[in-house]
Amino acid sequence: MRIPFISMFITSPFDGLLEHAEIIKECTWIFQQAIECHVSKDCRQFEEFRQEVHRLEHDADAVKRRIRGHLPKGTLLQMDKFQLFRYLREQDRVLDSVEETLDWISYRDEPGIPEDFQKDFALLVDAVIEPIEELSTMVSEGRTFFQNFSEKQRVVVKDIIRNLRKHEHEADQLEDRLKRRMFNSDLDPVTIFHMVRLAETIGSIADHAENAGDMMRAMVAK
Amino acid sequence: MTSEYSVLIIGYIFGFYMAWNIGANDVANSMASAVGAKAITIRQALFIAGILNVVGAVFIGSHVTDTIRKGIVSTDVLTDPHLALIGALSALLAAALWVSFATWRSLPVSTTHSIVGAMIGFGIMAGGFSVINWGILGAVVLSWIISPVFSLALGFLIFKIIVRLILTRGDPFDRALSLSPWFVGATAFVMVLSFLFKTPLGKTLSLGTPSALLLALLISAALGVAGMKLLKRIIRPKGPHGEEAIFKRIQIATACYVALAQGANDVANAIGPLAVIYFLVKTGGIGAQVPVPTFLLLFGGVGIACGIGMAGHRVMETIGTKITTLTNTRGFSVEFAAATTVLVASKLGLPVSTTHAAVGGVMGVGLARGLAAVNFRIIFQIIIYWVLTVPAAAITSVIIFKILEYFL
Repeated sequence: MRIPFISMFITSPFDGLLEHAEIIKECTWIFQQAIECHVSKDCRQFEEFRQEVHRLEHDADAVKRRIRGHLPKGTLLQMDKFQLFRYLREQDRVLDSVEETLDWISYRDEPGIPEDFQKDFALLVDAVIEPIEELSTMVSEGRTFFQNFSEKQRVVVKDIIRNLRKHEHEADQLEDRLKRRMFNSDLDPVTIFHMVRLAETIGSIADHAENAGDMMRAMVAK
Repeated sequence: MTSEYSVLIIGYIFGFYMAWNIGANDVANSMASAVGAKAITIRQALFIAGILNVVGAVFIGSHVTDTIRKGIVSTDVLTDPHLALIGALSALLAAALWVSFATWRSLPVSTTHSIVGAMIGFGIMAGGFSVINWGILGAVVLSWIISPVFSLALGFLIFKIIVRLILTRGDPFDRALSLSPWFVGATAFVMVLSFLFKTPLGKTLSLGTPSALLLALLISAALGVAGMKLLKRIIRPKGPHGEEAIFKRIQIATACYVALAQGANDVANAIGPLAVIYFLVKTGGIGAQVPVPTFLLLFGGVGIACGIGMAGHRVMETIGTKITTLTNTRGFSVEFAAATTVLVASKLGLPVSTTHAAVGGVMGVGLARGLAAVNFRIIFQIIIYWVLTVPAAAITSVIIFKILEYFL
């Protein structure tokens, strides 16, 4: 039943954002497993992992559409609508990048990463794992901030954002180093191309997480 | 004479029906923010609203009522007892039907405005357009704008103050506790004043404005300090939302007060016309005011309570599940804004409804960025029904008047 008095209250967009972020968090473990599997050369489960990420991405898209579609015109939010949508876009792109990484790996039939680069790749993956996981924490802490407006809570959110930035910086440096070494190695060009692009897509996960953090920073600004 | 008694019986039925509708329609508006903020459960809300409406109606409700609600129509139309009888019946039924329709369609309308509209319809039929007091009608129209706007401003201000002085501070719980005398006191101040100015019992004390203000100030100061002492004793947990727990207690008090005041004021909407019929049948003539026997007040109070009990649950459940982002500080801001608006507006002689004020309060807190998402477009829909209330009740009243005139 529709009661105008109640219809004034629209479900918090943070509910949707959190749901979206939780789905992304679910991908963390799968992503990690998939990359390890790819590195190990003897990989059978990779396709399963990739399909799982595809499925989650599909779910997340539905949540994203629901958030965008259920804010009628004339809705007053605690932040600007464009900030919310921009945030959502960046958060969604984190998942898109995870998916793209696994897709990119799957395009090449020959699995594995040359031993020389395995350690750096592992470090790069480690640097982006935390940002993927942190998103849901950031959203839920952000929601708490919008409930109690406490200065302490603002600091909690800002710390998470700073952490995301730090990881992005780390990932950037690793990506740089990897690419430099790859181009100066004597591997065949196809392998190099595949690995360079792989490093770039993995790095972009941290980029988008950082962008999401920046948008959250703008939302909680005084 | 037998036909007159059958009219009286019909009057009882219509009166009960109207009271039932008042309960069904108004309970959502008075209890919505308390239930939405989880200050009280649905069951508690229904219980509190039911009991206090009866208590308010019987003990605070007026034992004398204006024959014509708010004096919207000149009392000249009442000179012919037969016409007055038909008029009171048709006004009662027309208002009840409109409120019924609104309850069915889940629209928050004002029951006072409904009865005022229905009286206009009867007045036009009985004495033409000249008997209508256009000044009062103007006040009704003015109240459509003033009460939400005033309440919006107040809700905005209160919530901003709470954010600035309590929420953003290092230890919001301690801040809330040390400032609680001010919030409790301000709430008590509004409550005492509305009790003195608005309720019929308060009016019989007939205090002048300065002495009423002084009395309210003294009582609220005492209650504020006592409230803090009590809050200190009952609220132990310093959990993450200690400050909300403090406002939760204040909110319960305001919810109770609103239910009590509602019973005292709104019972006249159903019982006023019924008292006219009762008096006409018993004595054969009436003046500008009629006495209301206590059993009629009880009858109206029980009718309201029945409406709350039977239809309230459906409404409350929707509120409980739909309004999830309302916390106690927000709920308090909305309620305080609404109660103060109703007080100030009725002191100014504007016939306001709690519904209109509550909607304004929600928008104010929303504008202060206190609510996750507020749909402002809904307000147009709500306003349309506020504006429609008077003409719709008037036209229904005219039609019923014509039909009754034919039969009686």
